[in-house]
Amino acid sequence: MTGRARARARGRPRGQEAAPPSVGAVSVKFQISAGFQEMSLGDRGGRRRDFHDLGVNTRQAIEHVRESKTGSSGAMIRLSTNYFRLTSRPQWALYQYHVDYNPQMEARRLRSALLFQHEELIGRTHAFDGTILFLPKKLGNKVTEVFSRTRNGEDVKLTITLTNELPPTSPTCLQFYNIIFRRLLKIMNLQQIGRNYYNPSDPISIPNHRLMVWPGFTTSILQYEKSIMLCTDVSHKVLRSETVLDFMYNLYNQVEEQRFRDICTKELIGLIVLTKYNNKTYRVDDIDWDANPKCTFRKADGSEISYIDYYKMQYNQDITDLNQPVLVSQPRRKRGSLMPGPAVLIPELCYLTGLTEKMRNDFNMMKDLSVHTRLTPEQRQREVGRLIDYIQKDDSVQRELRDWGLSFDSNLLSFTGRVVQAEKIHQAGRVFDYNPHFADWSKETRGAPLINAKPLDNWLLIYTRRNYDVANALLQNLFKVTPSMGIRMNKAVMIEVDDRTEAYLRVLQQNITSDTNIVVCLLSSSRKDKYDAIKKYLCTDCPIPSQCVTARTLSKPQSIMAIATKIALQMNCKMGGELWSVEIPLKQLMVVGIDCYHDTVSGKRSIAGFVANLNQGMTRWFSRCVLQDRGQELVDGLKACLQTALRDWFKWNKYLPSRVMVYRDGVGDGQLKTLVNYEVPQLLDCLRSVGKDYNPRLTVIVVKKRISTRFFFQSGGRPQNPPPGTVVDVEVTRPEWYDFFIVSQAVKSGCVAPTHYNVIYDSSGLKPDHVQRLTYKLCHMYYNWSGVIRVPAPCQYAHKLAFLVGQSIHKEPNLLLSDRLYYL
Amino acid sequence: MDKNVQEERFTEMIKFTPPLYKQRYQFIKDLVWKYKPKKVADLGCADCTLLWMLKFCSCIEVLAGLDICENVMKEKMHRLSPLPGDYLQPAERSLTVTLHHGSVAHKDPCMLGFDLITCIELIEHLEEPELEKFPEVVFGFMAPAMVVISTPNSEFNPLLPGVTPFRHPDHKFEWNRAEFQSWALNIARSYDYSVEFTGVGPPPTGMEEVGFCTQIGVFIRKYSQTSETARFEKPTKAAYKTVFKAVYPSLKDEKYLQIAVVSEVVFTAQVIKRNLLDHLHSEHEEYSDGPVEIKSKSQHSENCVSEELAVEKCMEPSVSGNVVYIPLTKIFSFPKVNQLCGTFEKLYKLIADKVTLSSDGSAMVVDIEQEYEEEEN
Repeated sequence: MTGRARARARGRPRGQEAAPPSVGAVSVKFQISAGFQEMSLGDRGGRRRDFHDLGVNTRQAIEHVRESKTGSSGAMIRLSTNYFRLTSRPQWALYQYHVDYNPQMEARRLRSALLFQHEELIGRTHAFDGTILFLPKKLGNKVTEVFSRTRNGEDVKLTITLTNELPPTSPTCLQFYNIIFRRLLKIMNLQQIGRNYYNPSDPISIPNHRLMVWPGFTTSILQYEKSIMLCTDVSHKVLRSETVLDFMYNLYNQVEEQRFRDICTKELIGLIVLTKYNNKTYRVDDIDWDANPKCTFRKADGSEISYIDYYKMQYNQDITDLNQPVLVSQPRRKRGSLMPGPAVLIPELCYLTGLTEKMRNDFNMMKDLSVHTRLTPEQRQREVGRLIDYIQKDDSVQRELRDWGLSFDSNLLSFTGRVVQAEKIHQAGRVFDYNPHFADWSKETRGAPLINAKPLDNWLLIYTRRNYDVANALLQNLFKVTPSMGIRMNKAVMIEVDDRTEAYLRVLQQNITSDTNIVVCLLSSSRKDKYDAIKKYLCTDCPIPSQCVTARTLSKPQSIMAIATKIALQMNCKMGGELWSVEIPLKQLMVVGIDCYHDTVSGKRSIAGFVANLNQGMTRWFSRCVLQDRGQELVDGLKACLQTALRDWFKWNKYLPSRVMVYRDGVGDGQLKTLVNYEVPQLLDCLRSVGKDYNPRLTVIVVKKRISTRFFFQSGGRPQNPPPGTVVDVEVTRPEWYDFFIVSQAVKSGCVAPTHYNVIYDSSGLKPDHVQRLTYKLCHMYYNWSGVIRVPAPCQYAHKLAFLVGQSIHKEPNLLLSDRLYYL
Repeated sequence: MDKNVQEERFTEMIKFTPPLYKQRYQFIKDLVWKYKPKKVADLGCADCTLLWMLKFCSCIEVLAGLDICENVMKEKMHRLSPLPGDYLQPAERSLTVTLHHGSVAHKDPCMLGFDLITCIELIEHLEEPELEKFPEVVFGFMAPAMVVISTPNSEFNPLLPGVTPFRHPDHKFEWNRAEFQSWALNIARSYDYSVEFTGVGPPPTGMEEVGFCTQIGVFIRKYSQTSETARFEKPTKAAYKTVFKAVYPSLKDEKYLQIAVVSEVVFTAQVIKRNLLDHLHSEHEEYSDGPVEIKSKSQHSENCVSEELAVEKCMEPSVSGNVVYIPLTKIFSFPKVNQLCGTFEKLYKLIADKVTLSSDGSAMVVDIEQEYEEEEN
């Protein structure tokens, strides 16, 4: 497992603290009225991405949870969370008026000026976008007519008509709160980047890697189970104090010249850059190596101008390197009906933001970064409290809130959650308990026989000459650790190879026979190309399980035995072995995990991993993936996967499952509606098509890891992470959903991130408690980690598969491997 | 910009490219490039477009705006804030942008000591009493080295269809060239300035006699005056309200200079370290046989320890045990570090308590981090 994969399995959210900003995020302007312009557009059905999936009301369709969606088992635990209640005066309402002008006035500013001549009527507090007026109070009449005079003496009749009386919970009000709140953040001098706000005046500099981290906040105000609340979390923006051009020069000095363009393209595409001269972010979609700053473009007024002259004239920015290529960014969103052309950016004038995949894999860098970004529960709670303190103390912020009749609670929301009972680990007739606080049983089960141990009768160990000793050490240690697991092992066929990709491939072609159980390759470096080539060959052309190990991993004598143990377990899984299980009371249950990998480099394909259990014990899995090209619907491929999974299930069990439970990961913000309206009906269709009398119960659960919600367990006067097994299904859930949170993993440092589960379709009739318990059980079943992970195992398997295919194989692996966890 | 939009509509028939308002701003920018003023104020700054353009002019260190309408200023004032990029690579120059709410008929000491004050399409919006006070406030009190005043040239109006009677409903008057010039010359005489007249928006061919669409007077103060004496002589109470203030990060500020120097130094040190280790590694690859990595490395470091003193003198970095010593003289020789610090003493002062130095303070100590990789699969 790579460090990153491990981190993820352990439940470190990917880039939670370093997420690149989403391009095309609605930038809410400072002016309230400007904000409302967007809002009113939204109301009229304009394109406005709904990041919070508002208006997707799935709970009402699930009959058995309409009354209650809460579970019951487990011990009560007192928790607090990073939410603050927004309170409004009793009988509070927002009054929406429409303002007409006769004669018609065009300019928005003029319209505002004319209206505000009547401040004594409408009051000091108002929000106006030129047409729609929001007031915190109701005017005397439903329709009010007033006269204003323009500066050149023209009389204008204004008709102010009440169109709506909005209760505090109406969607328009929610948007209104968010706009007001963002305005408060601006008043506090925070800089907006993407969707979040950051404080640039106190940066954390990590010069080793030329990184700059800005502390900031993510905020959103939404209707939660019982009240409207502000959810705010600490967010860190990773910026790089180098321009794209600096980066290019640096890279140029590191790689061979003929590979430079290729590597550079791979590194940069998909990254978000920030321009020097304005506060805009762009995604790099392409690099135009044939262009340079001397090239010209046509301005809006039709004149031709070179980039050099343009930036000099417009922003007084000097471009010094005249031979640099240019970056191309495709616009994300349509503006009205007009699709704007691609934006051309000059590397010298763009800063890099966020982290590249390579940087994320750089252990040292992530370690240096996490020192600053990973906050303990105590630190996190303090930072969040600081924001709310500021709101409470700042006069202008308070005045603004008071005028609108709004206020925020000054304390974190607290409530009661439950900690469900720890699961017992079953392994070949033995039952293991472990410390539930660590959520890890690697010590307890070490050396115990496995449920199903696959023999190593005939296997290859390939190494380079330099690593001969390491290969022997590995072999010796495997001989030491395998017997207690119940793995029968013969000496490997040892093959020495030149340290070149072609040499490896030739050896594989020459030595693999139909009897070969597995191939172990000892790689001299973590160079990706060799790894990719081996994996590609052994997953597609010659479907055989394989295990690659970097020689350096085995170089420390004190840890080699522990590592050999892990390798033995991993190899066993790849050959179709089974390690442990937990008790699953539900029978005839098929659990499906789906996750997506978005390949930003080659062809912009998305890959979905699809994993479903083949047996009752959830120890054997069927795995397939879907390679989805741009414009193709993912669900078509998923249907095909589900059909094959059901066929294989039938082969294994001689009956079909009576329940299918889908854990769907990899759903972006704002995509829930599509899932509900399109993907779920297709899955139902697919099940129906299996047979006339076949009518299994279906449950679809959306799994979300990247959320802002954090829970704190107050213990000994200090906030701590809640223990693994903590379930929350009150207060911070959404009333229109059947949703819950589970903290399943334990973290050694920082704040544990709960996982959000949203049951969007459920004909199972299962009690919420059972769904929650089953979900938690499934988090115990990921064989690459002897502990509890943060998502159900099939989701993590699906992620692993999609990642391998997306990173290394780039095509569908051979289906002969589909009954084994060959991608672990 | 309202007035710009209005004017656009009128000048549709006679099309100016770029639009007239942009030409006016460009005129100011050209002037700024030519005279390199450090302190610039825009009176009647409206939505701050001119100020926003001027903030990119690297000679300017103080920018101020004044307007009678607070709301118009506030609408887009945040674009005058520093950008993320300004924080990522702070500029050499310092820049402070301030917006004031107030009238050009009032004196406020915050407007003293400027090099250039612009009044673009301002005076024609002033009521009679304000216009009367204007010369004394701007030329008598503020008394900047240079003043630029632009206003419509009414002789051009017949070419603009639909102008009745003025180009904008809020204009209180529009002057012909003779009116403007006599007003301006009178001011110049009274306050010891010279004035030259020009304009933007040339008349169409054959109509040259009407003059520019916008007439401009450029006033230059004939006497010299330091900002210090100005302040002493004219103590006045504040009459304006400050509505916005932004201080740009600058290398002149010790805090930002230190951040910049430390990041450059640490990054440079990493590059040196990596090169050094790569070099050692490749030597070892070539000459050694078999996996005796650890041994050969320690041998090498022993050599280094014994040579340490000599090595330091010759500015070359050295490995010792788990650390690399990089002489500060070597770091100081890097162009970017050198340029940022200026002197070796400054470099030492800035980084001394931010990085680990050797006991005698002559070299930076960098850990050779444990290469950490987990097993691939």
